[in-house]
Amino acid sequence: MDNSAVVKPVGFSYPRGAAGYDEVYGSQLQMQKHWQHLFDGLQALGGQGIQERQMKAERILRDDGATYNSGASPFSNIWQLDPVPILLESEEWEKIESGLLERSELFNLILKDLYGPRTLIRHGVVPPELVFGHSGFLRACQGLMLPGEHQLVLHATDMVRDASGAMQIIGDRTQAPSGAGYALENRTVMSRVLPSLFRDSHVHRLSLFFQTLRFKLNSLASHMTTEQPRVVILTPGSYNETYFEHAYLANYLGYPLVQGSDLQVSKGYLWMKSLGEMTRVDVVLRRIDDFYSDPVELKSDSSLGVPGLLEVVRAGRVVIANPLGSGVLENPALLKYLPQIGSHFLGREPRLSSVKTYWCGDPQDLAYVLDNLHHLVIKPIFRKPGTTSIFGSELDEAQQLQVKDLLRQNPLYYSAQEYIQPSTTPSWKGGQLLPLPTLLRGFSVADESSYRIMPGGLTRVGAVGTLSLTNQQGAVSKDTWIIASEPEKQISLQEERPVPRQTVKESKAAFPCRVVENLYWVGRYAERAESALRMLRTVFMHFNSTYHMPESTRQLLLRAVTELTTTYPGFTIADPELYKHPESELLAVILDSTREGSISSNLHALLKCTDQVRELLSTDTQRVINDIRDQLDALGKGISADLNAAPEEALDPLVTTLLAFTGLCQESMVRGLGWRFMEMGRRVERSVQIVRLLRSSLVKVLPEEEQLRVLETILMSNEALITFRRRYHSESDLSHGLELLLCDNSNPRSLFYQIELLRQHLLKLPARGGVALGLPEEERFLLEASTAIQLCRTDVLILEEGKTGNRGALDQLLARLQMLLQETSDCISDKYFDQVKAHQQLIRTNWEEEL
Amino acid sequence: MIYRIRHLTHYEYEKPVSLCYNQAYLLPRDTDYQTCLGSNVKISPFQTVGQRHIDYFGNQAFHFSLEQPHNELIVDVESEIRIHESKYQRAMDLNLDLGATCSQALAAMQQSRDYAVLEAREFALDSPMIRAAEGLRDYAKISFGDDRPLLSAVRELNQRIFQDFTYDPKATSIATPLAEVLKQRRGVCQDFAHLAIGCLRSLGFPARYVSGYLETLPPPGQEKLVGSDASHAWFAIYSPTEGWFEFDPTNNNMAGERHITTAWGRDYADVSPMKGVFFDGGGKQKLNVSVDVRKVENSQYTA
Repeated sequence: MDNSAVVKPVGFSYPRGAAGYDEVYGSQLQMQKHWQHLFDGLQALGGQGIQERQMKAERILRDDGATYNSGASPFSNIWQLDPVPILLESEEWEKIESGLLERSELFNLILKDLYGPRTLIRHGVVPPELVFGHSGFLRACQGLMLPGEHQLVLHATDMVRDASGAMQIIGDRTQAPSGAGYALENRTVMSRVLPSLFRDSHVHRLSLFFQTLRFKLNSLASHMTTEQPRVVILTPGSYNETYFEHAYLANYLGYPLVQGSDLQVSKGYLWMKSLGEMTRVDVVLRRIDDFYSDPVELKSDSSLGVPGLLEVVRAGRVVIANPLGSGVLENPALLKYLPQIGSHFLGREPRLSSVKTYWCGDPQDLAYVLDNLHHLVIKPIFRKPGTTSIFGSELDEAQQLQVKDLLRQNPLYYSAQEYIQPSTTPSWKGGQLLPLPTLLRGFSVADESSYRIMPGGLTRVGAVGTLSLTNQQGAVSKDTWIIASEPEKQISLQEERPVPRQTVKESKAAFPCRVVENLYWVGRYAERAESALRMLRTVFMHFNSTYHMPESTRQLLLRAVTELTTTYPGFTIADPELYKHPESELLAVILDSTREGSISSNLHALLKCTDQVRELLSTDTQRVINDIRDQLDALGKGISADLNAAPEEALDPLVTTLLAFTGLCQESMVRGLGWRFMEMGRRVERSVQIVRLLRSSLVKVLPEEEQLRVLETILMSNEALITFRRRYHSESDLSHGLELLLCDNSNPRSLFYQIELLRQHLLKLPARGGVALGLPEEERFLLEASTAIQLCRTDVLILEEGKTGNRGALDQLLARLQMLLQETSDCISDKYFDQVKAHQQLIRTNWEEEL
Repeated sequence: MIYRIRHLTHYEYEKPVSLCYNQAYLLPRDTDYQTCLGSNVKISPFQTVGQRHIDYFGNQAFHFSLEQPHNELIVDVESEIRIHESKYQRAMDLNLDLGATCSQALAAMQQSRDYAVLEAREFALDSPMIRAAEGLRDYAKISFGDDRPLLSAVRELNQRIFQDFTYDPKATSIATPLAEVLKQRRGVCQDFAHLAIGCLRSLGFPARYVSGYLETLPPPGQEKLVGSDASHAWFAIYSPTEGWFEFDPTNNNMAGERHITTAWGRDYADVSPMKGVFFDGGGKQKLNVSVDVRKVENSQYTA
């Protein structure tokens, strides 16, 4: 955001580049007609205007939580969107569209054939080694057939335009193609960033593509159920590079987002572990690679999949899209044989041409590749993590020899493509329009009888001078506008925005229990962090005040910080040096994310949990979460170790943001199970915090003046000081203070209040387990806690026990309450949350299952 | 001739297993030389109905899961096989010193458009447990002169493995890599089969792994002991002109009427008798396998 200060563009130009094909100019000097309108619009905006739009786009993407986790950075990066779209004329698009459609049909036929009769091999259309030697050919998937015409449900195709202006396909994604969701997000953002330009350009809409996808997924279960089928999206988890998209699509399509551990095979069917019960799953849209999806028959140490899944698929009791085994099509060497394959199946060569491809398993091709490395791109035929394309032109002599060796030793496993200089597209970079190399990914989804092509796609541009155009390598995306050369009046002017998602009634089966568990912990961590922040803020304030605090009180408060945050040993070691200079330890309690219980570690845990439930959070909530992240980052810089410099002020914004988060959840979350569990987490945690605080600060008997001081400190950190003073101004003593914090049912921060709320929540949960005798255990614990609080007399509790210097009765009561709360929390976990366990292999294999 | 085979697999776990999913290759398939007359699986401690399906290689795969806590798992398979002796006889009568030479066979492998040859090329490629290697080629090549008939060369390789390697169940486990077996010259039937396959593939010939049983005969005049048999493994070589031929390097012979096939694949990993995953169960597990192969007069399956 602060780069606006550096670049102050006023106008811009986009001159015809020196070499190659440009999307705007073609191979001419004159701008092509379909770009004119956009350029006029951009011109009107001016450099400054475009810059502002770019920042707006960034802000929206950030608020939407649109990220892409590249392997290089441990943190997720904001998805990169260029404010200048790429335009394709609808006449040209029609040709591309029909080419993509034909290609998807062809790939579908290949897939059907390879796991069926294998006529391609038996008739010698492709060499057997091309298929048999590919690690994506999963023999366990032989004969698995999806209901309906099409095996291949989703297909993505990467293409570039060569110097002659012809589109050339350079690769396909057939397992779990990513990018369609990002394309939709790009579109949503662009329609807000350039609303009038977008409206006037009559851009073809994307929503029909996703409607078709939803229709197709639902129809895959029609042989199993006449009711609305349960479709889930299976993600490898929040660490996956495209996790945002998984959550985004889940939300958009209205399907639960699940991980492998959320699913289980039982009694021959696939089930989702929902809250306290199992819900049958009919269709899985998978975003995990097929090889990882079943440790029984495929990769045996995979924890991403579901044991026994393949056998359920085989029995026809669940449908997976794309089908397991479809990775066999992601073989770049296949492109070499597509003309013959086209003739074999369709009686003609495919219309849309693929880049000239060689397969090193063919001796003639190998010889050519070895001699012509410098203008080729070497691609392993099977993509695994860590393998990338090798650009021959980037190799020095030693590297060339190395690559040649590699190819000679494993010729079957490598293909080569002629390097195509991609066409360039104007892209906004550093305050000007630069011609950047461009790659377009198109998407097909199976329809009832054919394929539907997304009108547009995901365009990526690389930096000048880079050959690789993948997001992993930091490419920037663009919205892709298919526009009519002549504006078509009849096209609806309706705004492009996500179709409101199906109203899924929030039942207990609406999401896996992992999500509920994470919401519970969101509640707990948010409360835990807030409570620690409040305490530290108050302690700082007291240490700074003009009042001279006696050493014993000071030590007691510091110990209370350690007890409250459980950052042991901390101030519980009687170290005079530490008490004299508590600053660094206090800072560690705030900032040291490696210290369990520190504010930083709690907030990190909170963010991790919100990542897991991203699909349930509103944009506003996402924005507040972004703020928490930012403030957490800023805290390290903003806070000073000097106690005189009022470090408490640095904590204020975080407290406010956490309150905003609480408020948002309170105000905008549907009162379903998710909300209830978050609330329960909050109540459990606040109860625990109150008990800890009281126990660490009020059990020890202090001189009266000091006692009041300590009491005021904890009242203040619980926002009860004002009430206390107003209510008890004439008789402000310990027993009234204790009353207010422990038993007062009108104080929303009293322990009694928390416990009563918690009891009400428990009553509203769905019944679980068999017929139990009497009250469920967790309700017993809470009833006892509630009763103990109601029966206690604070005037008795504050009495010293003999000459021990301690309030024994208070300590006992608090100890008992602490235990009851712990038991309650354990009960809730055991009863409602799944205990995820790792599987063991019956035989321990150490061979590589994947060649 | 009819064999009745009983194959008992018994796992004992340290702690109860809460859930398990398994795939077994314990049900014999049909081949040119044998017909499976029937087979029956009993799983305990819980009655479980498994699923059978014919896999990619034409084998009978068996799937089952147990969803109640159990301390042990017993898989008791009984099957009956009719051996077609006459077909074996024909194979045995074949003169291995005639037929396609090694170089002819190699050329035919590349050039033939015959379905069977194209499909057999799958078995010349690397597989999970067997990779072509220099060491294997070096060991094998002296038997494979260009002009020597392929099958005669394979017979010699089979014999050399028998002579050069010591049968030693303690020397290896299923996890022992092939290079290690080649180095220490010790192993069991499965290692020898893998070794032969690795040698053949390193030279460019398709070869597959066969798992099954071998009927053992008691010493003359003694009763055969119950459970004294074992599962066995050998290999098959593909000659583009003559088809598949099975050799047993552990016994220095060709597979014959006492060899009963369960399943075949690229290597052990494709057809391991039992594989799967389980939850809980503690750290250690005990495995006991007992096999009985008996000739019977009448089948209980054909009335």
